[in-house]
Amino acid sequence: MPKIIEIKGFTFHYAGSPRPALTDVNLSIDDGEIAIIAGPSGCGKSTLLRSINGLIPHMYSGTYIGEVYINNLKVSEHTISEIAKHVGYVFQNPENQIFMFSVERDIAFGLENLGLPREEIKKRVDWAIDLLGIREIMHRAPHEISDGQKQRVAIAGVLAMKPKILILDEPTSLLDPLSALDLITTVKHLHDTLKLTVIVVEHRLDLLVSIADRLIVMEDGKIISNNEPREVLKDDRLLTVGVGVPSIVRLRHLLKDACIFKHLPLTPSEFVEQINVAQR
Amino acid sequence: MYWVANAFIFRRGDSPIHILDPRIKLLISIELFALSLISSTLIHIGISLAAIFTIAALAKILKRVYRTLMFSAGFSVLIFVINFLVGYSIITSFVLAVRFVAIVGSTSLFFLTTSPDELEYVLRWFKVPQDVVFAFVTAVRFVPVLMLDAIQIMDAQKSRGLELEKGNFINRIRKLAPILIPLVVTAVIRSSELAEAMEARAYGAVKKPTSLYTLTLKKRDKLVGIASIMLFTTLLLYFLNLTG
Ligand SMILES: Nc1ncnc2c1ncn2[C@@H]1O[C@H](COP(=O)(O)OP(=O)(O)O)[C@@H](O)[C@H]1O
Ligand SMILES: [Mg+2]
Repeated sequence: MPKIIEIKGFTFHYAGSPRPALTDVNLSIDDGEIAIIAGPSGCGKSTLLRSINGLIPHMYSGTYIGEVYINNLKVSEHTISEIAKHVGYVFQNPENQIFMFSVERDIAFGLENLGLPREEIKKRVDWAIDLLGIREIMHRAPHEISDGQKQRVAIAGVLAMKPKILILDEPTSLLDPLSALDLITTVKHLHDTLKLTVIVVEHRLDLLVSIADRLIVMEDGKIISNNEPREVLKDDRLLTVGVGVPSIVRLRHLLKDACIFKHLPLTPSEFVEQINVAQR
Repeated sequence: MYWVANAFIFRRGDSPIHILDPRIKLLISIELFALSLISSTLIHIGISLAAIFTIAALAKILKRVYRTLMFSAGFSVLIFVINFLVGYSIITSFVLAVRFVAIVGSTSLFFLTTSPDELEYVLRWFKVPQDVVFAFVTAVRFVPVLMLDAIQIMDAQKSRGLELEKGNFINRIRKLAPILIPLVVTAVIRSSELAEAMEARAYGAVKKPTSLYTLTLKKRDKLVGIASIMLFTTLLLYFLNLTG
């Protein structure tokens, strides 16, 4: 499998900050994976994402060691706008990434900036609008749509630039539970239909563990775990790191000696299924 | 200053005026502005006001324009009194006062019928630099957002016991600090996040960004434009007394 993201010995130190935000990070992600990044606040999750789309080192001043490769491109040697064609970055607060007066115009924003011809822009905006199912709101102003809809508009805006990698920084943190579930379902759907590689920073692991291929846990600027979610969650030390371990997994850890479980259940339905199997 | 804001806040409409090309709306507004400015007799100013109200009626915004004009009437009373005291005749002072109302009216017509979106296109059409246009767009786009922020901060501070409505003038000004400081901090955070998001969407990647839409004059725009220029020229000549 080709590695679509390759981070080698990457250390980053924000200018003026007392300690590095990332220390010797090594990470490879395969094409088409869904990866979750979890960890307590301030552990460097956003910093890692910024290093992937080039905001670091191009926009943030600081010192770095090591290198990040996207599609075999050295991030430090390409402009952010070039990398934007490979990596779509959806930020935490949807409000602050919608610029224009209408949804449709906002989705066109990145394409206009790239200087694409009008016909191409039209085609892609149309495509992205249908992809995210936001045709009814395409002429609305940002203040006339809900937070969940704003998040969809933001995703449409980056996907219109046709990236192969979609990264989302705590995309559900400002959403109610139902919109959050809705959003994650949408992300999964986009991953499947567009064959995207998806990286999500998320605290609410219960929404994501069952669809993710990889769970990366960070602490203090370092990656402390990086494996399949089931493997990572087997480690009960995670319960104290400040990661939103799903309740079902916590429950399994509490039931330490009940050895009815063949493997770690990640969702309530897996839990019930294994109990049923054990009872038979 | 609320009335000023209100006078210039666009509400969506579908009148025969709203659907015109924004450049034509600007043209009409400028023509009315010029006519108001050179009105020097009661008849002139009467004609100018009638024209403004006709357009307002067509745009179905008579009420809003009327309200704006009533508010600006306060200033015009002042203008009347000053001019009269300075030694102008009652009629001249009156014309000058009403002229101010007409000038405000003609300007607000444009802003009341033109969406920020259209305004942006007009700026681009005038070849205003991209950065300036974008600064304008984000400023207008984030006015309602910051207003909500301010309301939230005020509520939060009130619930902690800040009493905004009490005390003398100086005290009240001082009490604004707990509102303004968090508001400024929020605005700075918002703008730095905005800057990140702009970069991630390739802002400034090429010198000349393209555009999903550009302004094109339709047949009705051309007709209205030509008609307005003819009417304007006629009235101009009449106002300047050049018709012989
Ligand atoms: N722009 C910045 N300048 C200086 N330090 C920063 C900046 N952004 C983040 N940091 C610091 O870097 C560390 C990691 O931050 P961040 O990547 O935002 O963490 P997370 O997203 O996991 O909450 C924190 O200690 C934070 O204070
Ligand atoms: Mg973060």
